[in-house]
Amino acid sequence: MAVYSFKTKTILSKLAEPLLIVALITIFVLPILSVINLSPKTGEIKKSDILGASTQSGCTVDLIGGQHKIFSSEKLTQTEGIGMFEYTVTIGKRSAGRYSKPILRIKNKTDQQKTIIFDGQTAINTKSDIFLLSGNNSYILQNSTGITHTEKLTFNPNEEKIIFLAVENSANVQFSEIFKMTISIE
Amino acid sequence: MSKLLKRALKIAVWPAIIMIAAKVLGILGINALYNLDYYIDNQIEGIYSVQICYTDPSSTILVNSLSDIIMIVALALPTFYFTIKTLLYETSFQNPRTIVKITELNILKWITKKGTTFLQIFIWSAFLTTSSAIAIAHSVQGNAYSWVGITAMIIGILSIWGMIKTYQLETDKIYPRENIYY
Repeated sequence: MAVYSFKTKTILSKLAEPLLIVALITIFVLPILSVINLSPKTGEIKKSDILGASTQSGCTVDLIGGQHKIFSSEKLTQTEGIGMFEYTVTIGKRSAGRYSKPILRIKNKTDQQKTIIFDGQTAINTKSDIFLLSGNNSYILQNSTGITHTEKLTFNPNEEKIIFLAVENSANVQFSEIFKMTISIE
Repeated sequence: MSKLLKRALKIAVWPAIIMIAAKVLGILGINALYNLDYYIDNQIEGIYSVQICYTDPSSTILVNSLSDIIMIVALALPTFYFTIKTLLYETSFQNPRTIVKITELNILKWITKKGTTFLQIFIWSAFLTTSSAIAIAHSVQGNAYSWVGITAMIIGILSIWGMIKTYQLETDKIYPRENIYY
């Protein structure tokens, strides 16, 4: 029994040696990689993903978010410049029809009238009409032929609006597309 | 299990910890001292997803330079202590003048017990040389001041020299050089 235990111990210790070598190499390599990786770098503050932002222009733009079968991966980023935003969304494959989703909540917190300009398009044309809905009005951003339009929405003092993004296509669309929209506050 | 490997592993833990800790504490300390504006980027480029970034290149150079120096000094102090201690210990056997000088300096403790092995000096020197190489690379890339690169190079060369000298003393014990004794 004692001989068996001694043999087992010898075999185990021999097997552990490669592991010990790996551990030793790791102890050498890990601090080197850490120091290289932790060394500070110079960089610009990137456009940050935001759920909502108050701008110097006095308007707040909030991403409503939530789950939707067709509209996914929504992102609202503040770009360079005062009151400049970029909204991106993936519009998934869909059957013929009309789909819409509330995307933004915009509030004019000033006591002056404000105009917000929307400009959006997809990288590829899927023969769909893409437009914004606000109240009973619709604002076309890209039509089925791919022509884009700049739309302006006027906000009265302290007025809040929910902006819907809508897409309408007469035939089935079999692939996803990324829709980008810039929002600028005048 | 190899005793040498186990011992090497045991010795290597401390310089590894000191290397990372000195760099991190150096960065944090300089940030606090100079009240610098920094932000944390979380791009996954290396082994960590966290990256400290400065918008101003001069801040990056300042923090990189001083944190590199802190890291090198933190590793150099124990390495040179071990090397000098071993060199004094070994030379005191052959040279009575060394003993007199050591007594004058009141560091007799250093030669009463060896306590330092070549393996220890080798591992600490390896970490110090690597740190120096990183600082030199930062300096060459323009991410640190040139004096940091020069200082790092001098310290790196000294550490290699100390290691070689210790190795020579150790091999002399096994294969004594006859011209020393005759």
